[in-house]
Amino acid sequence: MKGALSRLGKYTGMRLVFLLLSVVVAVYLTVIIANMGGELDRIVEAQIRHEVNLQYALDPELQRLPPDQRQAMIDETIELELRKRGMDRPFFPQRSLDFLGEALSLQLGRARLITSDTHSFQVSAIILERLPATLILFGTAEILLFFFTLLMALFLSRRYGSVLDKLFISLAPTSAAPGWFYGIFLIMIFAAALRVLPWGGMAPSGVQMGFNWEFVSQLLRHMILPVTAILLSAVFAGVYSSRTFFLIYSMEDHVELAKAKGLSSRGIERKYILRPTLPPIITGFLMLLISMWMGQIVLETVFNWPGLGQVFYQAIVMNETAVIVGVIVVFGYLLCATVFILDFLYAILDPRVRVGIGGGR
Amino acid sequence: MIGMRRRKQAVAERGRSPDRTEGPGLKVEDLTLYFRSTAGVVQAVEGVSFELVRGRSLTIIGESGCGKTSLARAILRLLPKNVHTYRGRVFLNGVDVMKFGDERFRKDVRWTRMSMVSQAAMNALTPVVKVGYQVAEPLMLDHVGKKEAYRKAREVFNLVGVPEAFMDRYAFELSGGMRQRAILAMALITDPDIVILDEPTSALDVLTQANIMNTLKKIKQDLGLSFMLITHDIATSSELADEGICMYAGQLVEHSDGQRFYREPLHPYSQKLMASVPTLHIEKKPEFIPGQPPSLINPPTGCRFAARCHRRFERCDEEPPLFEHGEETVKCWLYETG
Repeated sequence: MKGALSRLGKYTGMRLVFLLLSVVVAVYLTVIIANMGGELDRIVEAQIRHEVNLQYALDPELQRLPPDQRQAMIDETIELELRKRGMDRPFFPQRSLDFLGEALSLQLGRARLITSDTHSFQVSAIILERLPATLILFGTAEILLFFFTLLMALFLSRRYGSVLDKLFISLAPTSAAPGWFYGIFLIMIFAAALRVLPWGGMAPSGVQMGFNWEFVSQLLRHMILPVTAILLSAVFAGVYSSRTFFLIYSMEDHVELAKAKGLSSRGIERKYILRPTLPPIITGFLMLLISMWMGQIVLETVFNWPGLGQVFYQAIVMNETAVIVGVIVVFGYLLCATVFILDFLYAILDPRVRVGIGGGR
Repeated sequence: MIGMRRRKQAVAERGRSPDRTEGPGLKVEDLTLYFRSTAGVVQAVEGVSFELVRGRSLTIIGESGCGKTSLARAILRLLPKNVHTYRGRVFLNGVDVMKFGDERFRKDVRWTRMSMVSQAAMNALTPVVKVGYQVAEPLMLDHVGKKEAYRKAREVFNLVGVPEAFMDRYAFELSGGMRQRAILAMALITDPDIVILDEPTSALDVLTQANIMNTLKKIKQDLGLSFMLITHDIATSSELADEGICMYAGQLVEHSDGQRFYREPLHPYSQKLMASVPTLHIEKKPEFIPGQPPSLINPPTGCRFAARCHRRFERCDEEPPLFEHGEETVKCWLYETG
């Protein structure tokens, strides 16, 4: 027992090291890419030079100074500005590694141009402000999607070949189009033509955000179209693939034996189909959970949803390195934690994995 | 030599088994099972009738695809979705269980009175549940308490020769032979009248096969139940047979007493089949039967074996009925009486 525990500890430690290593690599790559491999520093430096020169050119007091002295003062100011931003040192390796360290320790720093609604340049404030909107939209959609897919797939695998089954199979290719594609049509139909649902946003302006009836009801009204769009884009292919998965699994010999043993079809489904297929199902669910943290850039834009996807898009367009790295590092940690939890869930759910971790007999 | 001695012993044991009586057991009448397929209707089982008294054991032999497994599944009503025709009567201890609804059949017949060890028993245990639970499960489904079910499970584990400690293991931690025994334990736990063994040893090595066959013989003696052994393995099966059935192209062609069946079978097909078994010490070339079994989608009219038969004559263009030949029944014109 003690040996098994120490093995378990060793396994857990190794797993954590590798996961964290992959987060480090991912964040470092993001730092390099978001800074354009150091090129961004030169753009910023040119901007600073331009601004300082402009400042000196426009100041009549300074214009009277002799050119040599003036140039010296300009150079000194630029030098100071650069040093203030740490740009006097080369991007590789010092500055990029500094960025990496700050990102990993979640000192997400300040944005240059983007602010939160409360006019803060703090990246953490910007992310935290946008996160609830994204979580509530994608959380609702993904949870609905997950449970509907699971139950529908089980239902269809029980009666494959039925009309409903054929309908889902033939509609599966519609999932090739992304959610925003259906979103546009939904807006056209329900907002533009029928005028029964809002065009976009979370709530009309003037409604106080928070747990009051007016806001919640407005939020639900505004969520109908985007949630439907997400569901439309994913549900048919999801049901199709899960249903095939269950169908293949229900032909396994031990399911056959369970049938022969006289288990009810519900009992067979619970113990002999769902139970052994639980690990991949849980994986699917947890991956859905973390994928919804990022939001969807285009969908949030189409529905003017004030979420993380939208701000991520702005950050990319405006070269807002700090925000890009901030979003990625939060996401990276979440992914890492999810995979780590999954490892343990697998061990609990699947004895083959558990015995492997325990070192077998 | 050892084989000879064992055979004699088996014969002696058979001598002690009770004679045919009108008692509990299985009676199948005109059982027919057709499947739908894209190519047409497959006549997998065609009008099979036989009777098996409790305590006696039956082997069913025949080539692959002659309907042995389909017959077992028809008796246990374990049918796929593409069933075309399913009719006939199955009497279990005098009660026609074909009249039972699916739910009643599941609760009162399948696995409670008749259980089955299936062909692919190697993968028949789910990997995520402990073996002990899986073996005890049929009892728990019958609303026997968990404790009692596990006690009984320990009992059958001992009976089939699996150490009790294995109850706490998972299927992937057991060897093939142990898994097969665990499934046998599962089949025995409800004290059934009939256990259908569908090629229980075909995936195992020869030693394990012999071991399991010996276990089966012992169980049969101790519990007095009936085994219905479906197999290709003629040599091994002979040890368990009180009676033998030979199937060809979905039909029962011979039903004989076990000794008779393996020594001097009646039907030309059974004869050829027995002759195909290689022997170790006697100078005899294993024979084979030319051609292959007919398609079950469009079976030939008349005797289905006629095309490959070495004793074919004019009558064979008509389908022979089952003729009584002493104690035996045989579906061949050679045994036409009167």
